Amino acid sequence: MPKRIINPVVIPLLCLAFLAACASMKGGMVFPVKHPAELEQGKRPTCTECHEARSETLNYARYNHTAFFADTHRQEAYQNEQLCAMCHETSFCNDCHATRVELKPSLKNQTDNFRRMPHRGDYLSRHVIDGRIDPTSCFRCHGNPKSAITCKSCHG
Amino acid sequence: MKEGYRCKRVSWELLIAVVLSLSVVQAVAAAELHVASDTLVRVFERDTTEGEDKTVVPGYEYLQVDYGSLKEKGLSFHIYGWGRLDLASSGYYDDDNAGELLYGYFEYAHPGTNASAKLGRFYVFEGVANEAVDGLALKSDVTPYFTVSAYGGFPVALDSTNGRDSDSIIGGRLSHHLASWYDIGVSYKNTENDGDDAEEMLGVDLSLNLPFNVSLFGFSARNLDTEGWAEHSYELGIPVAGLLLRPYYQKFQYEDYFGTGALARNPFLFEAATGETLEVVGGDITWPVSKAWELGAKVKYLDYDVRSGSSEYYSALATWHGEKLTQIGGEIGYANGTAGNNDYWLGRLFGYYDQIQQILPNGFVTGDLVYADYNEDIFGESDSLFVSLGAGRRFLDDALEIKLSGDYSSDPFFDEDFRGLLVAKYVFDR
Repeated sequence: MPKRIINPVVIPLLCLAFLAACASMKGGMVFPVKHPAELEQGKRPTCTECHEARSETLNYARYNHTAFFADTHRQEAYQNEQLCAMCHETSFCNDCHATRVELKPSLKNQTDNFRRMPHRGDYLSRHVIDGRIDPTSCFRCHGNPKSAITCKSCHG
Repeated sequence: MKEGYRCKRVSWELLIAVVLSLSVVQAVAAAELHVASDTLVRVFERDTTEGEDKTVVPGYEYLQVDYGSLKEKGLSFHIYGWGRLDLASSGYYDDDNAGELLYGYFEYAHPGTNASAKLGRFYVFEGVANEAVDGLALKSDVTPYFTVSAYGGFPVALDSTNGRDSDSIIGGRLSHHLASWYDIGVSYKNTENDGDDAEEMLGVDLSLNLPFNVSLFGFSARNLDTEGWAEHSYELGIPVAGLLLRPYYQKFQYEDYFGTGALARNPFLFEAATGETLEVVGGDITWPVSKAWELGAKVKYLDYDVRSGSSEYYSALATWHGEKLTQIGGEIGYANGTAGNNDYWLGRLFGYYDQIQQILPNGFVTGDLVYADYNEDIFGESDSLFVSLGAGRRFLDDALEIKLSGDYSSDPFFDEDFRGLLVAKYVFDR
């Protein structure tokens, strides 16, 4: 069988077969597609209002959306993306984490002043200072060739 | 291939793909449809290639469509992207129109398990990966103690860098977890551009539940190309007397963190060449005083290996919560240190009044004020002031929301800048 047929067909089929085999095994806590109880749109949820801080299967307290959760949610998302996806569609994350968007989050959602968002106000002046102090904080959203287009007009 | 022809061809391919996709998913019993549209029209003035003080009127459309088994596990299709037109042909933008398909993929989630497969353009936020991929991603639990995920395809971030021939990205994460006690993961990512290594990263992530409800979270990433540790970030979560304390430590080695391969771009390419190492020690406190009041404070100390001096940042916030989304809040912060070549005070006040019974039972009014005071003048200005006022109302059983806002900015870049924004947000569910 020609190699050019094997790779794009056989390899994905093998991967899917492996997935099916894994899926048939008993796993850990199963996350539903959507959070079972309807949560009020726009309000930051405190998971421990309904759940104990630590159950046998999950540290619920970790996912409380505290005042600074928008600044600190990285590790929660990197370890448990499926949990975030119960309430947040990827389009929500794309306001900040996207290959390329033109509008900064606080401009695209200008009237959502109850949300904690980066770059409010005149960030053009402040970013010069913040970028010198800690450029790693810029890199997470602006660190690939497409998202760095925002920087290109001044930084080359 | 000419840019315009490529865009048309991509558009037709995309349209055919969407129609075929929806036809396939239609076969799924009880398929649901969710459409969300945000249409934005901005207006402001700028000096452009067409002249001074030209009125710029960009129109944006953000469109999301989800179809299939959306509330239960099964087969579904998801697509989201944006487009922009310069409605006044002002000459402000490099191109009169722009846009991006942010994601478009099939997903199969196996009922009763965490197993899932994605095919198409999707995002991977996992371990060392913060990527958009055109390809295939698989994830599954393997017994209650292990979770394995893998992805492969073309990196979307490199699709405009010398074409897509010989571009590739592969990666995955293997984690071991024991109930809610701990979760330790190892992740890997390899990106190639035109057949050459662009980035190769290995990561370790950890969450550990300690006694007294204390938690330890950590992440370390190693750049296998530069053979150095790019990042170490570790924090504790300590609940004490209703407060949550979060002390943390971070260390970044710029050469390894920013990298110098095909993915690197300025200004980060410049930063990588400095050989700098940044250490950050900080902490924040959040205190939900009551259902109505929330307080918080953060402090951050930054120290450098190559650069002399250090930097600090302090801030405090307070928010009062009323009914529904009604809130009034304020935050004050101070950044200083030699690294920034400048210090600044930052203050913010905001208010959001939701569902005003007498005037706007189905709407809101909101305001935002951000003020910064700089220690050293920037372009002859010592401060920046930004004020925004807005209002909105919902119609058609909350399916349609119209929002109007205006803002004013006086800062080192603009003497007096007035801008307007009209948003129509529509959600359709069936």
